[in-house]
Amino acid sequence: MSSPLLNELIDALRCLPGVGAKTAQRMAFHVLERDRAGAKKLSDRLAAAVERIGNCTRCRTFSEDAICSTCASPQRDPSLLCVVETPVDQLAVEQATGYRGRYFVLLGRLSPLDGMGPKELGIDLLAARLAENEVRELIIATNPTVEGEATAHLLSQIARAAGVRATRLAHGVPLGGELEFIDRGTLAHAFGGRQLIEN
Amino acid sequence: MRIEQQPAFVLHARAYRETSLLLECLTRDHGRVGLIARGVRRERTRTPRALLQPLIPVRVGWNGRGELATLTQVEAAASGFDLDGDALLCALYLNELVLRITPRQDPHPQLFADYAETLARLAYGEAQAWTLRRFERDLLAHLGYALVLDVDGDAGAPLDPERDYAYRHEHGPAPWRDARDGVRLRGAALLALARDEMPAAEHLSSLRRLMRAVIATHIDGELRSWSMLA
Repeated sequence: MSSPLLNELIDALRCLPGVGAKTAQRMAFHVLERDRAGAKKLSDRLAAAVERIGNCTRCRTFSEDAICSTCASPQRDPSLLCVVETPVDQLAVEQATGYRGRYFVLLGRLSPLDGMGPKELGIDLLAARLAENEVRELIIATNPTVEGEATAHLLSQIARAAGVRATRLAHGVPLGGELEFIDRGTLAHAFGGRQLIEN
Repeated sequence: MRIEQQPAFVLHARAYRETSLLLECLTRDHGRVGLIARGVRRERTRTPRALLQPLIPVRVGWNGRGELATLTQVEAAASGFDLDGDALLCALYLNELVLRITPRQDPHPQLFADYAETLARLAYGEAQAWTLRRFERDLLAHLGYALVLDVDGDAGAPLDPERDYAYRHEHGPAPWRDARDGVRLRGAALLALARDEMPAAEHLSSLRRLMRAVIATHIDGELRSWSMLA
């Protein structure tokens, strides 16, 4: 190709997940041939987002302000703090439950092999938050993976040190599932965590 | 090359592309292998995703040669180890250690057996530090880096349990002179590791320093888990 700028654009598009050489090429030709206005808008929004979206200083989720709207909201119960791995997990909890407390986003999980340790997860920030004595319950909503469990252990130790009650999301049989097809680990957890039927 | 029903443990899994996982597995007969599990992160998949996690004994099949082969089959070989708390952190350390120190496709069936045995010991609640030291000692031996633990590297004389020694890289214990010698150990600590008898607590911490120094020379750097284990 004779245009170095075009080649650079194709290369740059490949930073997106799931976009390989061919897709990047198709995207670049599409915007140049058919949708220059759309491309201008995309480049403006992308530049603005990268420039202005940072992390909330309280909960570490994405935010344009120093303190995100969830942390700033007076409607939220400050005595409940839900710890999630990523902003996407926060969104999932927010959409699925009627949770009205606050969040803390780790932006990862404890995984030595990926270079994620307590420092990278902002554990010191969380410990400082618990030391403010406002939080009564720490809801640990890390994923039920090996790394998520290790992270949950670390979080429960911090909660204990601060004298805060720590709870963990239940593991169990998915709604509409069938026992026959559930893996052993999940079924064992569901069985171990069975609950009394209140009459 | 097509392999089926190979006993294995996943050491590490990470997301790859939209729906796949890249796995590092420790297998019994093929050593450490890198596998791609295609499409397993989709919501509907026939591969049980819950099995593609560390610390679960599985049987895997794969197809292909070279650095990365394609996972074709996975099934549970037994229930996973019930590890929590500090034992879980120890197990993550084992995974990092094995991944960093073993080359790919270098089979050590005894290493595989030792790894499984070590997870079982951690799950039963045996002393964690001692369990890790025993594994490290045997791991180094399987890889051809066995430590000399019972005789003086220079004189070849049996160690005196009451004397202090330094451990010289690729040389063995030598009488302790000063701080430039590195890790200082009592003869009793080295002999305990040689005889597979659990030593006193103060010897355990000197053995930990020794193992970290020795492992660091083989992996060219430090393990991240060291900062997480007290």
